Amino acid sequence: MSAATSGVPSLRARPARHGVQPKHGVKPKHGDKPQKWGNPGVYFIALLFISVSVGPVLYIILGGFRTNSQITVSPAGLPNPWVFSNYIGVLKSVTFWGEFANSVIVGVATTAGVVVLGVMVSFALARYEFRLKGATYSLFAAGLMFPLVVAITPLFIIVKDLGLIDSLTGIIIPQIAFGLPTTVIILTPFLRAIPKDIEEAAAIDGTSRLGFFFRMAIPLALPGVITVAILAFIASWNNYILPLYVLNSQANYTLPLGVQQFSSEYSQDTARVLAFTSLSMMPALIFFGFFQRRIVGGLTGAVKG
Amino acid sequence: MASIRFEKAQRWYPGADAPAVPGIDLEIRDGEFMVLVGPSGCGKSTTLRMLAGLEAVNEGKIFIGDRDITALPPKDRDIAMVFQNYALYPHMSVEDNMAFALKIAKVPAQQRKQRVREAAEMLGLTEYLQRKPKALSGGQRQRVAMGRAIVRSPQVFCMDEPLSNLDAKMRVQTRTDIAKLQSDLGTTTVYVTHDQVEAMTMGDRVAVMNVGELQQVDTPLRLYDHPDNLFVAGFIGSPQMNLMKAVAVDGKAKIGDYLVPVDPASQRKMSGKVTVGVRPEAWRLTSDGGEGLPITVTLVEDLGADSFIYGTSEVEGTPSTVIVRVSERGRIHKGDVIHVTTDPRNVHVFDTNSGERLSD
Repeated sequence: MSAATSGVPSLRARPARHGVQPKHGVKPKHGDKPQKWGNPGVYFIALLFISVSVGPVLYIILGGFRTNSQITVSPAGLPNPWVFSNYIGVLKSVTFWGEFANSVIVGVATTAGVVVLGVMVSFALARYEFRLKGATYSLFAAGLMFPLVVAITPLFIIVKDLGLIDSLTGIIIPQIAFGLPTTVIILTPFLRAIPKDIEEAAAIDGTSRLGFFFRMAIPLALPGVITVAILAFIASWNNYILPLYVLNSQANYTLPLGVQQFSSEYSQDTARVLAFTSLSMMPALIFFGFFQRRIVGGLTGAVKG
Repeated sequence: MASIRFEKAQRWYPGADAPAVPGIDLEIRDGEFMVLVGPSGCGKSTTLRMLAGLEAVNEGKIFIGDRDITALPPKDRDIAMVFQNYALYPHMSVEDNMAFALKIAKVPAQQRKQRVREAAEMLGLTEYLQRKPKALSGGQRQRVAMGRAIVRSPQVFCMDEPLSNLDAKMRVQTRTDIAKLQSDLGTTTVYVTHDQVEAMTMGDRVAVMNVGELQQVDTPLRLYDHPDNLFVAGFIGSPQMNLMKAVAVDGKAKIGDYLVPVDPASQRKMSGKVTVGVRPEAWRLTSDGGEGLPITVTLVEDLGADSFIYGTSEVEGTPSTVIVRVSERGRIHKGDVIHVTTDPRNVHVFDTNSGERLSD
């Protein structure tokens, strides 16, 4: 990005700097001096967007290191002195860790379900010929347009009829169902892109259809599988509305509910609420930070031959 | 090692109006290098894929040795295949690619390694064993694909245009490598190509196919010297044989005023419209003009060792292109009118309607 935008000004700047130029000097020479800085306008816009998205997060994290009086006196100030008691208090609380554990259980179970079922569905859609294949795919695609929030009331009734109210299973199963459309949409092209030749070569080499699935399809679609796994985990981690409806007792709360509960319980103690909030969003952030390159790689798709 | 026998093997793709291969009868001897050649869509790949088990055989049977393999899945046929795009497994190293079939067959690791190493040595791949296919050149990938076939020591090699994705220079070299490898290993090989030069240079025998039917199965030289029909005559040889329409009158074939010398067999058999075929190198320039087929030169291609002269001649009222190979250069120029003739043994006479060969 920066190299592309910087090309234009440097073209004009060069003859002025060097005086009379031989004809070939007008062309930008690659590699003779790498451009370190891009157009300031681009930086300005980028910074604007970064501050809009990072600002609140930083405010929450830094706010946790301050006292309530510090926050009241100067809402936008930096911690002075740095206070660790808020974070330590949260980290020592049983409630936080209980809710953390619930979130992990729900997240891991949802991710596992979404990935296993999603890969299987996508494989069938991508590499088998059967009647109503197009219709099935469209059905999953339609699921994208149907957010969980819209369906929450009927969903609640179903979960209740199943007797899953106030249990983590009651969150996991609907989350898997609502996670499948994205997974199928992302994975199907991945699995379809595996050349037919490779399947035939594997068949001649002695693999069965299932063997091809495990030995070829899964390893080759791995970037896509990782991507959908991360997306499913983060969606589960951040899900608020479904736990809100399904879970009643605090022992079963996931973190988003816990944050809500905590902030109403300690509404006076803003600093503590900020500390709790920042700790509860940390895992998802760290997770995303570690894997964001893989996610982007996974979304661009295609199996490299 | 084994022979292969197609018995009226038919492949009809679902939804197609006509079978891709209506029923092929072909015997391939043990250890033979058989090339299937023909224009695209002639059914040569389908035939190979039926043998490999990648296409179902709708009718008829295929045997490898004495085994009827018609209904067997590919893995039970004891064959190995080299694909046009090589179909290497992108996520595996060269070594794993080559060892994959053995691994599936549960060959012990020690033996697996040994066989991969031997194959790699044979193909000059030893130093690349740990690389992924992505990090190899086209020629190296091609050799890995060969290696994958070799390590299994199968009864039959199936090769589906394995050289098409190589550049011209690599192709010539790999062509000889494959031919040599095959004769060293002595494994029965079925090789599909659309390139008649590959067919001529590599095959022990060549099967020429067109629209799903075998046209002629013979040694390369026999195909060249004795094409059974018009299709084979036009397909084999580059530049192609001059095929000219002629009229048979009283045991003589006439192109305009030129009387084509023909052998006694065709003299007896031909009547009405015939097509006369003469290879470019079979023409002889007649020293004094007037005798032979008159040709107006439109292009001279000097290739160094010899030259090809492209010219037009009035054949049955319509100008048609005639190609002549001459060994001396610089004597004939564009616009010249030359006269050529040939000998009866170099003339192939075909029935224009049926396409069948009339000469001996």
